[in-house]
Amino acid sequence: MTNFDLLLQQTINGLSLGAMYALLALGFTLVYGILELINFSHFNVFMVGSFVGLWTLQMFGLSGQDVILTGLPLAGVLLAAFAVTMLASGALGVAIERLCLRPLRDVKGPAAMITTIGVSTILFNVILLSVGADSKNYPNPLPTVRFQLAGAVLDLRVILIWIVALLLMAGLWLFVQRSRLGKAMRATAQDPEAARMMGVNVDRVIVIAFFAGSALAGAGGLIFGLYYNYTSFLIGFTTGLRAFTAAVLGGIGSVPGAMAGGVIIGLVEAMGGQFIATAWTDVIIFSILVLVLVFRPTGLFGRLAPVKS
Amino acid sequence: MITRRAAIEAALGAGAAAVFGAVHPVLAQAADQVVADQVLKVGIDLSLTGADAESATRIKDGALLAFEEAEAKHEIPGYRIEVVTYDDGTATAGQYDPAQAATNARKMVSDHDVVAAVGPQMSGAGKAMAPILSQGGLAIITPASTNPDITDPRFAPQYRPGGKPVYFRTVTTDTYQGPGLANYWSDTLHVKTVYILDDGGAFGVGLADAFQKRAEQKGIKVLGRDRLDAKAADYTTVLTKIKSLNPDALYFGGVLQAGVKLAKQSYDIIPKVIKGGGDGMMGPEMLTAAGFPAAEGWYVTIASPHLTEDDRMADWMKSYKSRFGVSPDDYAITAYDAGLVIIDAIKRVAATGKLVTRDAVRDAIQVADVKTLQGGVSFDANGDLKDRTVSVFHIKHDPSFPADDLVHQYRYLGVAPTS
Repeated sequence: MTNFDLLLQQTINGLSLGAMYALLALGFTLVYGILELINFSHFNVFMVGSFVGLWTLQMFGLSGQDVILTGLPLAGVLLAAFAVTMLASGALGVAIERLCLRPLRDVKGPAAMITTIGVSTILFNVILLSVGADSKNYPNPLPTVRFQLAGAVLDLRVILIWIVALLLMAGLWLFVQRSRLGKAMRATAQDPEAARMMGVNVDRVIVIAFFAGSALAGAGGLIFGLYYNYTSFLIGFTTGLRAFTAAVLGGIGSVPGAMAGGVIIGLVEAMGGQFIATAWTDVIIFSILVLVLVFRPTGLFGRLAPVKS
Repeated sequence: MITRRAAIEAALGAGAAAVFGAVHPVLAQAADQVVADQVLKVGIDLSLTGADAESATRIKDGALLAFEEAEAKHEIPGYRIEVVTYDDGTATAGQYDPAQAATNARKMVSDHDVVAAVGPQMSGAGKAMAPILSQGGLAIITPASTNPDITDPRFAPQYRPGGKPVYFRTVTTDTYQGPGLANYWSDTLHVKTVYILDDGGAFGVGLADAFQKRAEQKGIKVLGRDRLDAKAADYTTVLTKIKSLNPDALYFGGVLQAGVKLAKQSYDIIPKVIKGGGDGMMGPEMLTAAGFPAAEGWYVTIASPHLTEDDRMADWMKSYKSRFGVSPDDYAITAYDAGLVIIDAIKRVAATGKLVTRDAVRDAIQVADVKTLQGGVSFDANGDLKDRTVSVFHIKHDPSFPADDLVHQYRYLGVAPTS
C-alpha cells in the first residue's frame, strides 16, 4: 500500500466510525438543546438498541455469518430490523423521560443528570444479567462485496452504513428545520417559557426529542452490530463517551455540530492510530476536546446559550 | 492503607489461630469421635463475570470435582472440606477486576477457616491478590494465570512481602508460553516478520514481551508493537496500519475481551496473515462470538500439556461431563490437579496429627509431589511448576462437531519447541 492508499483507507475507516459517533452525538445534543440536561442513559440506550437489532435479526432466522441474503429479502430484513430497533429504542427513551426525568423537571441542580447515570447503570446490568456477559456474534446478512479504490478497500457494508447514517441525519435535519414540530422544538430550545406562552406543547416537544435521539442511538447500535459483527453489554461506555465528546466538540445543543463532531472524532481516531499509536487514541481525542473548549468554549458550531429565566 | 489493613487482618488472624490452637485439641479429646468432623474451607477465585466467564466456569468445575470426589470418599479422616467461591470479574470491568480480586483475597485471608485456595484465572487478578495472600500466609494454586512476575524472586518485595512463596501453579508461565509459539512459528512456519499487539492487561503485556524477546532472538523481524483498548470496539485503524506493513504474522498477547473483536476484524482486513496468541485466546467465546470463519487459522498455545484427547483421560472426561453437562478444557484439568495438590497437602498435615493450619498446608504444598492427571506435580523454590510443557493448537473448523466444542475445534499440533 502506498501512503495515499493508506490515507484513503484510514479515511474510510474514520468516516465509518464517525457516522456511528454522529448518530449517537445527535441524541445528546437534541436533549441538551431543549432541557440543558446531559443524558447519560443514552450510552446504554445505544447498547440496548444493538441487542434489539440482534434479536430482530435472529427472529428472521439469521445467526452468525452463515446466512447471506441479497436483493429484496435483504432490503426487507434490514428495513424491518431498523424499524423495530428504532421504535423500541425510541420507546425506551420516552419511557426514561416519562418515568424518571419528568418528575424531576423542576428540581434544580444535578438530580436529573444523576438519575440518568442511574438509569444507565440499570440498563447495563439488566442486559448483563439477562443475556450474559459473553460477547455476541452479530448476524451479518450482507454479502461480502468489496470495491477496490486505488489500494484501499471499500466494503459494501461501509457504504450501507454511510447511506443509512446520512439518510437518518438528513431526515432529522429536515424535521427540525422544516416541520411544525421541529419549529416548536427550536423555539423551546431558545426559550421554553416563551414557547409555552406561544402555545407550544413543551412536554410533547421533550418527548419527541427523547424519541428521536433514542431512535437514532438504536439505529447506531444496529449499525454497530452489522459493522463489527459483534455486540456485548459493554459497548455503551467507550463508544458513548466518544460520541458525547463529539457532541461537545461540535457544540452541544447544535445539530450540525453533533454531525461534524462525530466525523471529526472518527477521523482523529483513525489518523491517530495510523500516525501515532492506537494506545494513544484516548489521549489524542480528549486533548483535542480540551483544546477546542479552552479556545472556543461553545464548541465548533455552538451558539452561546440563551439566557433562561 | 491497603497493606496496613491487610497486615492488621493478618495479625488478627494469627491471634485467633493461636486461641483456637489452644482450645481445639482439648475439645477434640473430650468429645473424641462424637464431635462432627472439623470443617476446613478452600477458596476458589475466578473471573466468573465478564468476557472470560465460560472458561472460568469450566475451571471452577474442575476444581470442584476434585473436592467433591474427595468428600464423597471421605478422604481426609476427621475433616470435611467446604468450597467457597469468589468472583473477581465485575460488570463494570467486563472481565477480571484487580480491585475485586484484592477484595476477595482479603475476604479469604480474614476467614480463618480458609486453609488454601484455587485461582485466580487471570494474571492481573493474581498480581492484586498475591501480596495480600502472602501477608495472610494463605497458599493459592493457580490453574491458569501465567504471568511470570508474580513468582519471580526479583519481584518478591512486591508480590511476596510475607516471605515464603504462597503463589503456586499447576501450569507453567509466559516465560515459556510466549517463546513457545515464537519457536514454533520460526521453526515450522518459517515466519520472518511479525507485528505484535497486546491488550494492556498484566497477562497480555507480559506475554507479548516474552514473545517479542524470543522472536528477536530467533531472527524474526518485529515490524511494530501497539496496544488495543480492550473496551473499545474499533481495531480497523491499527489493522489497516498492519496491513500496510505486510507482516508474515500477527501475535496478540491478551484475553478474549479484545481478542474476539481482533479475530473478527483481522479476518476482514488481513485474512492471509498468520495469527496467534496465548491461552487467553483459548475459550468457547473465540468459537461462538468471534465464530467461523473469523476464528479459523489462529494458532493458540496453552501453558500445560494437552490431555483432553488423551485416551487415559476418557473416564475422567466422562465423569466431568456427566456432572457439569459440558466438556472440560485443559485448564479444567489443571484446576482439578490444583484441587488434588491441596487435598494431598491437607491429608499429609492431618496425618501428622498436627493442627491443619494455613501455614502447615502451605509448607506441605511447597514440598508436594503428587500424582495428578497431568503427571507428577511438584514446585520449585518460587512456587512454579517444575514441568514446563507448552502445547500448540490451530483452530480449524470441523463441522461434524458443535462450533463451541473446544476439544475438536482447537486442533492439537503438539508440544512447542523449547528453543
